[in-house]
Amino acid sequence: MILRVRFHGRGGQGAKTASRILGSAAFGGGYNAQDFPIYGAERRGAPVAAFTRFSDSEITERGFIFSPDVVAVMDDSLVADPLANPFAGLRKGGLAIVNTTRPAAEANGGRDDVTVITLDLTKRALETLGKAVLSAGIAAAVARSAGIDAEAFVGGLVDELKEVGLSDDVVSKNVALAGAVYDELKPVELRTEELPAKAELVPLAAVVSGDGSEDIVNVGNSASRHTGNWRVTEPVIDYQKCTDCMICYAYCPESAMSVGADGRIAIDYDNCKGCMICQAECPLRAIGSIMEDRR
Amino acid sequence: MKPELMTGNRAAASAARLARVDYVPAYPITPQTEIIETIASWVREGTMDSKFVQLESEHSMMTAAGAASLAGARVFTATSSQGLLYAMEMLYNVSGWRAPMVLMNVSRALAAPIVLEPDHNDVLAARDSGFLQLHSETCQEVADLVLLAYRVAEDRRVMLPAIVNLDGFYLSFTREKVVLPGQAEVDRFLLPYDPPRPIRATAPVAKGSAVMEGYLYSYFRYNLHAAALRAKEAFGEAAGEYQELFGRAYGPVDGYRLEDADYVLVMSNSFTTLGRQAVNRMREQGVKAGLLKLRMVRPFPGEEVAALLKGRKVAAVFDQNISPGMGGIFYPEVAASLYHLRGRPEALLPVVGGLGGKQLTSDEMCQVFERMRAVGKGTAKPDPMFLMREEELSKAKKALATAGVQG
Repeated sequence: MILRVRFHGRGGQGAKTASRILGSAAFGGGYNAQDFPIYGAERRGAPVAAFTRFSDSEITERGFIFSPDVVAVMDDSLVADPLANPFAGLRKGGLAIVNTTRPAAEANGGRDDVTVITLDLTKRALETLGKAVLSAGIAAAVARSAGIDAEAFVGGLVDELKEVGLSDDVVSKNVALAGAVYDELKPVELRTEELPAKAELVPLAAVVSGDGSEDIVNVGNSASRHTGNWRVTEPVIDYQKCTDCMICYAYCPESAMSVGADGRIAIDYDNCKGCMICQAECPLRAIGSIMEDRR
Repeated sequence: MKPELMTGNRAAASAARLARVDYVPAYPITPQTEIIETIASWVREGTMDSKFVQLESEHSMMTAAGAASLAGARVFTATSSQGLLYAMEMLYNVSGWRAPMVLMNVSRALAAPIVLEPDHNDVLAARDSGFLQLHSETCQEVADLVLLAYRVAEDRRVMLPAIVNLDGFYLSFTREKVVLPGQAEVDRFLLPYDPPRPIRATAPVAKGSAVMEGYLYSYFRYNLHAAALRAKEAFGEAAGEYQELFGRAYGPVDGYRLEDADYVLVMSNSFTTLGRQAVNRMREQGVKAGLLKLRMVRPFPGEEVAALLKGRKVAAVFDQNISPGMGGIFYPEVAASLYHLRGRPEALLPVVGGLGGKQLTSDEMCQVFERMRAVGKGTAKPDPMFLMREEELSKAKKALATAGVQG
C-alpha cells in the first residue's frame, strides 16, 4: 500500500506545513513517509504545491506527484485555476478534499470518477485561530480519510507546529480545530487506478525556435496576470471618509491603486492581492476590509 | 539510532556534527541555506562544538576553509550553483594544497536563465578541480557519504578535498527516513583528523608555495591525479568498514536489476529513483531493463562501469546537465570507459533531461528504454534524446507569447 497526497494551496495558507504534518503523522503511525514542497520565488497568495507519500513498505518514488491518490485543495479559487490544475492526474476512484463553501458537485473539477469531500476550513480557521491558516485542518481531513490513527496524527501535528515556532496557546488552538475536523470525518476506502498517461515527447528540432533569447518585448505585462484571486481579505474604500490624499496609492506594492474617471482613488481588484498595506497606512482609517468570497 | 524523518539538508548538517568538524566557514544560498542555518543554531545552543563563521562571499569561504584545513582543522562547508562557481578559483587551490576538507554542493541549475531547481552543471563545473566527488540519491546517502568522504579525503594515500552532492529540492527539502549513525560508532569509524604537517608556531611550514616551472607543476599535478585515483581503493576499504559498523553498503557504482539486463540506463543523483521506477515498469512488461548508478564521480569509476555494462545490448547515459555544443557531460566519460572493452554494448544512447529540475514522468523515463530497444533492434539510431513533453513545450510557447517574442 502506498498513498500519494498532493496539496494545493496559496502561499501563507500552510500547504508545506500540512504536507509535513501528514508526513510526521504517518511516520509516527508506523508508515514510511516522505514529504516535499515545491516553491520558487513565491509570495503570500501565489499557488504552491506540496506532496506527501506514505507506505507500509519502502518508498521508491520521489519528487512531483503526477498521479495522486488524494488531492487536498486548500483554496476554492484554485479548483479551476489552469496553472494549479489540482485535479490533474488524480487517480480514478481517488479522493479530493476541497476547502470551499460550495457543494461537492460544484467543486469536483469536472471529475465524476472521484470522491469529493468539501469543508469550510477557512471559516473554522478564522473562528479558532483568527487567521486563514489551514495546515492543521487540511492535514486532519487527509489523515482521517486515509485512516491514520488519532494519536499518531496529534503527535505529528504538535511536532510540526512546534517546529515552525508556534506558541503553546496557538498549538492547542490548532489541535482543537484539527480534532474537530478529524472527528467529523470517517476513513475513506480508496481503490485507486492510475489514469493512462502517455508522454508525447517532442524532438529537439521542435524546441529549437526563435532567437532563443529571454527578452520580454511586452514589457509591463504583470497586470495581465490577474492576481486578485490571491486575496483572502478585500480592502474597501469608505468614500465618505476618503480625502484622496493618495497615501494608499504611494504605498500599494502592486500598483493596484489608481485614480478613476471621477477623480477619486479606486482599487484594481483584478490585481490587488489583499496585502492590506493600504488599510494600515490610511491616515483617516477610510479603508475597511471584508472577507473575500473565494468562489 | 532511531529512524527519523529529515531533509537532505538536515542529514548533511547532522553528518558534519557527527564528524566532529572543527570549523564551518559559511555563506548562504538557496537551496543550501538550511544546512548552515541548522549548524549555526546547533553551535549557538551548544550542541555542536565547532567554530562557525559567516564569510562575505563563497570565494572567501573557500579560502578560509582551505587555509583552516591546512592548519590542521577538520573543515566542513556548503554551497550551491552560482556560489560554487564564485568559489571556483579557490577549488583548484584547495585541492592543490592537498587540504582534505568536505564541501556539500546542493545542486541547482546555473543562470542564465535563473531557476532554483537542480541539474548538475554546477557540480560538474568542479569536475576537473581536483576535488573528489560523491553524488547522493537519498537523504540517507547524504549523511553516509559525508562520513565516508572525510575518511577518504583524510586518508594519507589521498589527502584531497571532497564534494558531496545532493540535489536541491528533491533531496535538500525532501524529508524521508534517515537512520543517523551513533556518535560512538562514528568516533570509531572516523578518528580525529591527524594532519601530516599542521601549521604550528613551534614547527614552521610554508604551504601552497609557488613553483614557477612547468616540470615542477607537472610533478605536483601528476601526483594529484594519482592521489585521486588512489581514492577508489581508500573508498573501498572505508566503505567495507562502514558496512560492518552501520550495515549499509556503498560502492563507487550501484547496480539495480542488472542480473540479466539487456538495456541499462546509466544515471546519477536523486532522479535515479525515477530511473528505478522506470526499470520496474519495463520489467513488468517483460523487458530486461536495469540501471547503473554513478555514486563516485571523481575518481571516475570507469572499470566498474565497464564491468557492469559488458555484454549488454544497449546502454543509455542520462545526463541531467548539458555541455552546449557537445551534449551530456557523463556520456563521453562512459563512452571512454567502454572503448577498449570487448563485448561492449552495441550502442550507447545519449539522453539529456531534467535540466533546471524539469519534472520527469514515469512514461517519459520508460520511453528512454523503448528507444534503447528500438536501437537494439535496428529500427532507430542512437541519436541524442533531449527530453521535453509536448505539454511542456506548449506552456513554454505560451510564456514566449506573453513575453511578445516568437517561439
